Amino acid sequence: MRHLRALLARIAGLFAGRRADDDLRDELEAHLEMETAEYVRRGMTPADARRQALLSSGGLTQAAEAVRDQRGLPWLESVAADLRYALRSLRRSPGFAVVVVLTLGLGIGANTAIFSVVRGVLLKPLPHRDGDRLVYLRHSVDGPGRGNIEFSVPEVGDFRTGAPALADMAEYSPFFFTLQGDEGAIRIDVGLVTGNYFAIMGLAPVLGRVTQPGDDGTGVPAVMVLTHEFWLRRFGGDSAVVGRQLRMGSKSATVIGILQPAPSFPDKVDAFLNMVISDHHLGALMVTDRSHRMTEVVARLGPGATVAQARTEVAAVFARMQTQHPEAYPATDHHRVAVLPFKEVLGERARTTLWLLMAAAAFVLVISAANVANLTLMRGVRREHELVVRAALGAGVARLRRLLLTENLLLALMGAALGVLIALFGVGLLVAFAERYSPRANEIRLDAWVLGFALALSVMVALLLSFVAALPREGTFASWIAAGGQRVSGNFRGQLLQRGLVVAQVAVSVVLLAGAGLLTRTMMQLSEVETGLVTEDVLTVPVSLFDPTRLDFAADGANKQAYESLRREMLALPGVVEVGVGSTMPLRTSFLAFDVAVEGKAFAPGEAPPHADVRTASPEFLRAAGIPLVRGRDFSATDAPGGGRVAIINQTLADRLFKGEDPIGKQLAFRSEILRLTPISGDWRTIVGVAGNTQDGGLDAQPRAVVYLPFAQEFTIFGGLVVRAGSDAPDLAGTIARIVRRMAPQSPAEPVQTVAQIKDESVAPRRLNAALISSFGLLAVIIAAVGIAGVLAFSVSARTVEIGIRMSLGASGGQVLRMVLGEGGVLLAIGLALGVGGAYLGAGVMRGLLFGVAPHDPATFIAVAATMAGIGTLACWIPALRAARIDPAITMRAA
Amino acid sequence: MADKLDVKQGTLALMILRTLEVLGPLHGYGVARRIEETSSNRLKLNYGTLYPALLKLEQEGFVTGEWRQSENNRRAKYYALTAAGRRQLAREAREWHQTADLIAAFLAPRREAT
Repeated sequence: MRHLRALLARIAGLFAGRRADDDLRDELEAHLEMETAEYVRRGMTPADARRQALLSSGGLTQAAEAVRDQRGLPWLESVAADLRYALRSLRRSPGFAVVVVLTLGLGIGANTAIFSVVRGVLLKPLPHRDGDRLVYLRHSVDGPGRGNIEFSVPEVGDFRTGAPALADMAEYSPFFFTLQGDEGAIRIDVGLVTGNYFAIMGLAPVLGRVTQPGDDGTGVPAVMVLTHEFWLRRFGGDSAVVGRQLRMGSKSATVIGILQPAPSFPDKVDAFLNMVISDHHLGALMVTDRSHRMTEVVARLGPGATVAQARTEVAAVFARMQTQHPEAYPATDHHRVAVLPFKEVLGERARTTLWLLMAAAAFVLVISAANVANLTLMRGVRREHELVVRAALGAGVARLRRLLLTENLLLALMGAALGVLIALFGVGLLVAFAERYSPRANEIRLDAWVLGFALALSVMVALLLSFVAALPREGTFASWIAAGGQRVSGNFRGQLLQRGLVVAQVAVSVVLLAGAGLLTRTMMQLSEVETGLVTEDVLTVPVSLFDPTRLDFAADGANKQAYESLRREMLALPGVVEVGVGSTMPLRTSFLAFDVAVEGKAFAPGEAPPHADVRTASPEFLRAAGIPLVRGRDFSATDAPGGGRVAIINQTLADRLFKGEDPIGKQLAFRSEILRLTPISGDWRTIVGVAGNTQDGGLDAQPRAVVYLPFAQEFTIFGGLVVRAGSDAPDLAGTIARIVRRMAPQSPAEPVQTVAQIKDESVAPRRLNAALISSFGLLAVIIAAVGIAGVLAFSVSARTVEIGIRMSLGASGGQVLRMVLGEGGVLLAIGLALGVGGAYLGAGVMRGLLFGVAPHDPATFIAVAATMAGIGTLACWIPALRAARIDPAITMRAA
Repeated sequence: MADKLDVKQGTLALMILRTLEVLGPLHGYGVARRIEETSSNRLKLNYGTLYPALLKLEQEGFVTGEWRQSENNRRAKYYALTAAGRRQLAREAREWHQTADLIAAFLAPRREAT
């Protein structure tokens, strides 16, 4: 209380001003007079008395100073004085100030924006209670697209009893439903979870309740917890939705609560339900079959348990499972289970990219700080005179350093303010970017941490800048003052430092450019990948008629009829050439994949049988999608339910199974443990054709093996139509979507896209990635170019007299031009060499992000070096031209 | 002035407060004289010591200053003890007594061990 009051009084004292000073003078004067009067009374002469009084006062000026210090906050006042001084001196060189603030602003802005993403996506503690105790289990086998094959319920049971380091495990089965509503049907992605799911995840509802163990099993009502995001998107955050019944297919569930905002993993889901909603999930197959894997597992570490313990235990349990149930774990598949900290898994896909971006941003900051350091050095040389005068007036080294620091802090803080502003705009874009890599993108904020980061960066830069400027050692001021600031040449050390900074800028720019170049090449290569399809003229129309809540196999005939009606309706549209029906749209991965056996062909022991995607296709499908038939025949109307079982395989599978043989007429069959869990039979099928490869597993993946089966002969779980039209295909999308809505209102509305759009979407993250790194690279090059030009210009202006002498002695403008260019060229060349070397060494870390281009791609490196050399030479040219135009007569006279 | 003691900031505040309590509102000169006299001139107060201390007490709310005519018709700033100042004085005096007793006990001539 007392200290607070005193502090307030002192703050008020800062503004006391002249009156307080007058009062103080009066008060001290009164004291002096009273004391003088006292001495007079004791018998001194008035003059002696006054002298004696003054003597005993201990100095009026010192007293006044002491009182003033007590009145205000002296340190604050001296800081304020420094600030005033700094502002004044910056106002005198506005060009310098603007360039520095802009440069630092860009550097700090880039870093702040990227750091906000790194923090939101990778570093921030999870919103889950004790989120660092959560682990995720991943079951993988060999083969493309089989990195996560999930678990079966019996497997989860084994882990639950055999791994005490895991306190408890929650089951989560990704599924999807068609949500019926007033505005039509939509597809919602859901997680079917065990009742302990939310307790284990450490997530709480913001409204209502979450599922509990009491919601497990049969005979309970179906309940539903909406994710925060879906609640806002679909129901506008209306709290009245809690308690409502939502209809999904033939069933409905009661909304019991809204979940707190949390990253959605492993899949982006809209809602969580208990298992009772799905007949399948409570069926014997799901519950008892070891090979029926459609459950994800999240577990919480027990008290005191470590991830390492959990790994050991899980590995032991898994090894036991494999020996006890060899049929469920074919050795050739190499089954393995990983125990991963949940937070790590969430950041898995974003990590490399983000750290790469962070490094790129850091490089930009290094370059901009180097530029500012150079500007400061040059300005320091010009200010030598001023500093000498200040030193002569009694400012010590420490004081001068403080002045510089204040000035640089001011600049850096203004830069940081600009940077935060830039970051504010950038974060919006970056969230959209990060969404493609991380379920935590919505946690990206410019929070206190991020602002603190920006502040720390700017303080660091200010400190660095304050110590690059040369100040004499204490005690050598005299020589400085004697020199009188005449040496405006800049000393050798300063020049060397400036040049070193330019070399560093060029080198770092080259590294950034190389990264940008490689990513851009990657993106171009990806866009040029042949999909094996007609992309522009083909529309894909996903239509789901199967009700996943009910396993109604009898409805299949009616569904097939409905697809046929849709097909005819679309075929009748003007401009439409062909319409096919199939299970899976082109460029989308199939949900079914089995091992394939060939009649009369044995695989070598230990050789894994080929694993092929299964897709169904109507006789028109391949033609409509533009997939070429390499051999044999297409499906025909006779490949009907009653007819012989036939199949078309793709080129990849043909190469794999029938090297040098004609596959037509051969017999193949599916042979997977999970086959009996699906409506697909293991019967022998005659191969009637070979189709071209398509890039369904991703543009950057090896083409996958595919078996096409006649649409009419197989049960339809998923379905859709491909519509081949002319170049006006995109214009038909609206019409076709309306047809689906009219004829199949129970099917959730899904976008009607051309194959080209799907392809484009899959390249988009890479494109953004390349664009971000490229813009950093561009920024770096521009800043570096300004840096070279600045240093050369400074060198030219410092050597005006020398150049004048040279020219008066007969050097031509051209010779001077070459001299300056040469000076810059040396810096450029060293920087280029270092940069290319650095990029060559560093490119390896990007390997995982590249496609179709080697990390040490010579073409990219040459192009990058040429770009940098070109821009650098251009930057040298400007000061060189100025040097060549120096008029010796004028400069010599001025000297 | 080698024989004169310097005053420490903390003790000076106590002396000022006590002086104002005994003598009532008083100007800086009066306070200085009184302290010097009470110390039998062993203490010597600079302006540079006294006035910052008075200002500090004022800022802390223990004294208030007011401009008045002095006894010989000079304008002078008179300091008076506030209620908070009185409480502070009582508190500090008590603490001093305790400290003094304690130190005295420590410094007392050692008794013969029996």
